[in-house]
Amino acid sequence: MSPSLANRLRIGFAIGFAVLTAMAVIGVGRFIQQRQDFEDAIARSYQVEMTARLRLERAGKPAAARATAVKQTARRSELRDQIADDTRDTALLVAAGLIAGLTGALLLFSGLIASMRRPLEELVEAAGRLAGGDRSARVRVGGLSETATLGAAFNEMAAELEQEASQRDQLDRLKDEFVLTTSHELRSPLTSVQGFAELLMLERESLTPKQVETVEIILDNCRHLVRLLNDLLDLARSDAGRLAITPRPTEVAPLVDDAVRTMRAQTEQSHQALSQQIEPDLPLIEVEPDRIRQILVNLLTNAHEYSPAGASIEVTARVVGADVEIAVTDNGPGIPEQQLEHVFERFTRGDAGLTQRVGGTGLGLAISKSLVELHGGTIAVESTRGVGSTFSFRLPAARR
Amino acid sequence: MTRVLVADDSETILLLMRTRLELAGYEVETAADGQEVTERLHVGEAGQLPDLLLLDAMMPRKSGIDALRELRAAGVETPALIVSAHQDATDADAPSDLEVSGYLTKPIDFDRLLDSIATLTA
Repeated sequence: MSPSLANRLRIGFAIGFAVLTAMAVIGVGRFIQQRQDFEDAIARSYQVEMTARLRLERAGKPAAARATAVKQTARRSELRDQIADDTRDTALLVAAGLIAGLTGALLLFSGLIASMRRPLEELVEAAGRLAGGDRSARVRVGGLSETATLGAAFNEMAAELEQEASQRDQLDRLKDEFVLTTSHELRSPLTSVQGFAELLMLERESLTPKQVETVEIILDNCRHLVRLLNDLLDLARSDAGRLAITPRPTEVAPLVDDAVRTMRAQTEQSHQALSQQIEPDLPLIEVEPDRIRQILVNLLTNAHEYSPAGASIEVTARVVGADVEIAVTDNGPGIPEQQLEHVFERFTRGDAGLTQRVGGTGLGLAISKSLVELHGGTIAVESTRGVGSTFSFRLPAARR
Repeated sequence: MTRVLVADDSETILLLMRTRLELAGYEVETAADGQEVTERLHVGEAGQLPDLLLLDAMMPRKSGIDALRELRAAGVETPALIVSAHQDATDADAPSDLEVSGYLTKPIDFDRLLDSIATLTA
């Protein structure tokens, strides 16, 4: 069992108290003793003088009596000097004792503090590392029992955290593995369903309109499933840190053109105005073009699906500081404030009333956010009910 | 007539491929895995080689990639398309010495597939 701080303090205080008390008792006792002796000696001196003078004067020897008086006066003066010296010595002795006692106490306390300091510093450092994500952070257990207990408790906690984290990691890995495998395994049957439905459509002349409609529904849902699988796969990869990008200096305008062209047919069908405004002389951005196109198509698809027929959708690109900001603005219904902070979360979708019409997977914005962040950028949303929404993302300009 | 050898471990997919490709006017042979592909082509003489290989990347016994590696080592230079369930199958998945002519992902975009076959067998 290591010595405890409390016990050491108790012993330290007891010793200090005893030393100081002893010094005080000894000092005061000595002082009183000296004073007593002095007074006795003075009294004796007077007595001697009186007796001698009385005796000598009676004997008719006044010169001898005077000599005795002189001698005793000198003796008393000597005694007074003596007591002054003695008093000073006693005071010095007490002072020296007090200083020694205080110094001892100081040494004891600084020793205690020093013995606490190393383990405490180690704890602070290890706690910092643990908080910073180093799950292997531990402290040496030792020293005073209090710091030893604290250290042991810290280590136990850290070990538990490490175990929980590793279990969580394992679960995460299992989840990612599961999503990857599932999405992989679902593709073959999906290929068959979609492929045979397409085969039917190749012979649409021999199908009734009702049958054509049915096959179209099958194909629509196949496309939706593919989108869902692709989105799930992207998210699982992103979670597993396996969503890799190979950025290269890329021009912004062709990317926007491309995304707008992809969306044109759909927006025209709902009589929505789709326009773009790209600042001239934009710097290149360091990105993987396919991924940025994916983000843009995601944002444009949302704007298209959540805005009513006849709405306007605009893509803008401009320089903001060292970044290029690309924004998709619509004059649709806007997003309620309480939903706004959740839009980038998975499976979050707008108004339930709208989801019937909206074909999204609820993953698009979550993936867009992951992709933007993977490129070292940021994504944001602004929306006002009844006025419209703007989704914008910033990407660092490529270094020239 | 242009001959295409299709390998996939799913009979349904093989049926789908055969139907689509035959509709487009190709002669189609099928194999259930990579092992079957290599066995058939090793015994076959140069004149009997198909004009195109359409191989699934992942199959039991022998994958499309492994089968193609063996064929290339044996000097078979038939153009090959690899079908992968991976969304982003690219050249990174297979060594470049395999001389893969293209990658397709499931679900298969048949318009793209037929375009590729037409180009490769022209």
